[in-house]
Amino acid sequence: MLKQIILNLFGKKPALGRDAIRAMSGDVAGEPGASGPARLDAVFKRSIRIRQVDAGSCNACEWECTALGNPIYDVSRFGIDFTASPRHADVILVTGPVSLGMAGALKKTYLAMPEPKIVIACGDCAKDGGVYRGAYGVLDGAAAVVPVDGYIPGCPPNPAEIMKCIMDILESAAK
Amino acid sequence: MHPENEKYIELSAADFPRKCAEYSRRHFLRTMFAADERELDGYFRVYAVFSPMGEDRFDILTMKLREDALAYGSITPLVPAAHWYEREMRDMFGIIPEGHPDPRPLCLHGIYGDVYPLRRDVTTDDIKKSVDFSREDGYFFMRVKGEGVYEIPVGPVHAGIIEPGHFRFSAVGETIYHLDPRLFFTHKGTEKLFESRGFENGVELAERISGVSSFSHSSAYCMAVERMAGMDISPRAKAVRTLVIELERLYNHIGDIGNMCAGTGFALGYAKGAILKESLMALNARLTGSRYLRGINVIGGVTRDVFDAADDVISTLDGVKTGFKHFMEFLLDSISHIERLEGTGLLSREIALKMGATGPAARASGISDDIRRAHPHLSYGSLIFEAHTYQKGDVYSRMMVRREEAECSFSIIDSLIERRHEGELRMPAGKFPAGGSALGYTEGPRGSVFYWIKASGDGSPLRVKVRSASFCNWPLVSYAIHGNIVPDFPLVNKSFNLSYSGCDL
Ligand code: SF4
Repeated sequence: MLKQIILNLFGKKPALGRDAIRAMSGDVAGEPGASGPARLDAVFKRSIRIRQVDAGSCNACEWECTALGNPIYDVSRFGIDFTASPRHADVILVTGPVSLGMAGALKKTYLAMPEPKIVIACGDCAKDGGVYRGAYGVLDGAAAVVPVDGYIPGCPPNPAEIMKCIMDILESAAK
Repeated sequence: MHPENEKYIELSAADFPRKCAEYSRRHFLRTMFAADERELDGYFRVYAVFSPMGEDRFDILTMKLREDALAYGSITPLVPAAHWYEREMRDMFGIIPEGHPDPRPLCLHGIYGDVYPLRRDVTTDDIKKSVDFSREDGYFFMRVKGEGVYEIPVGPVHAGIIEPGHFRFSAVGETIYHLDPRLFFTHKGTEKLFESRGFENGVELAERISGVSSFSHSSAYCMAVERMAGMDISPRAKAVRTLVIELERLYNHIGDIGNMCAGTGFALGYAKGAILKESLMALNARLTGSRYLRGINVIGGVTRDVFDAADDVISTLDGVKTGFKHFMEFLLDSISHIERLEGTGLLSREIALKMGATGPAARASGISDDIRRAHPHLSYGSLIFEAHTYQKGDVYSRMMVRREEAECSFSIIDSLIERRHEGELRMPAGKFPAGGSALGYTEGPRGSVFYWIKASGDGSPLRVKVRSASFCNWPLVSYAIHGNIVPDFPLVNKSFNLSYSGCDL
């Protein structure tokens, strides 16, 4: 164990640099936490808490959100963290087409958040139902239940894309 | 005209329960479902798919039921593994298993009105109209009575970034006496959606039944459609599918072993597992264009030849193999982690067998059942490998089964790459025979995946039955957690790693 700790202190760091993330997501406008989203910093003081709510997704979108916390992407470097309680959240990140069974829970989570609150719909099916559009058990997207501020396209969007879109959406919401 | 290894056995409603009980003694119950076939012959039908232990054959017991007499004697008292299947048929078709010990609905929550969504004459609009969000949910949880018993309700929205479901624990102090899970919050109506899509367009839906099992689901689905249409895909397409299924198993198993560390609060172990998983996901993306291996399966074969990138596969997997070896050594040396795993979340062989466990969960409880061996398909018939079993049925065993299976996947991939595979990547889809039906199956990372499809009179889908591994294994978590402490629940749950979406459909 001790050996591991020392290795980790002095060894090679696996985390991707900003450039690598930019390359993976195409074009990252404005570096997260750097000069770009200055207004964002003014509002959120470089600390953004996200409550993720799965409203009937296939679960791939959540795995990509989970990956944001791994040592490769490590979003907490940029002041972004996922939180358990909606009371601590600035942002609600919705995945899934909103199954009928989750509509009530999604609404409750949204209502439990303090103002200002921002809603981001992550993935194609949170946008308009995606592949599930028209199924009897879904509401064809998050907007049926909560006011959506921005969308992250993809099925699923990869972690770098999620990160880039979150920054962009937050920035325009902070304007 | 059925695929060779499928044998249909027609029974009367009176004989059905007894026969099922008889079969269940030497056969695995693979899946059980109903279909509304009134447009073909005026009847509803119930099917129970058994496969004899050690033989590549499916004995499919079936009975027909008239619309005005949709009741039969429940088989659950005799074949406990049927318990959820029968509740599902009751919800979705209104077929009544008389004498079923659990009268509660399963798939449909209280917001749904009196509709049977999978009946063919019930439209999506009918179902939507029946929905009333303010309707009282009459669901009741099983109660444990006695001094000091209290209940802990959890969910549907959980603390972490995971899928939704509700768990009701009855505990005394820290000890769990009973766990009553209530799932199906993510029920979307996927099976009905398949019916409106046409067989060829069903692939993208099958890929999205359950995120990290995308490829096993699409493979089983394509296989069902291909078998129904009498198509034999080329050895090359089969080899591609086999390799990609093993890649899916690898990233799941290694990721799951890492995730179990999150269950014990072992952050370093979790981080190491996540790094290994990430390099496999990146490989997936380079090979198939999708981190979740989507868009490669099509009816009739595959869209890409992953063997073109064999060098990348070999060099990436070499690195992961070494990393995984060190990772396992590191975990097994971490006493504080391993001690939490040993003896935790015990699932006895007897219960696993009776309740129809599948996948690593079954093999960790001593049941040597693996669809790749039991029903050789794709390239598996020509590969030599074992079904890895452990006897104890605890979290540790479930981890070790995954470890051995991951190592086995490395060598399966190696031997696939050594060989040459001939043939077209993709053959044109044949015609779908009116009234035709077939099973498709594979062994996914969580266990067996089954599809059963049937075409209507015009060759469009009449029924697409999806049976994910998670549907079988969810009820087992309650048994495994019994007598454990509340803080061990996340760990035990992670050791099964079940899909909500794949179960709720
Ligand atoms: S957008 Fe795609 S990947 Fe994300 S939850 Fe929906 S179906 Fe799954």
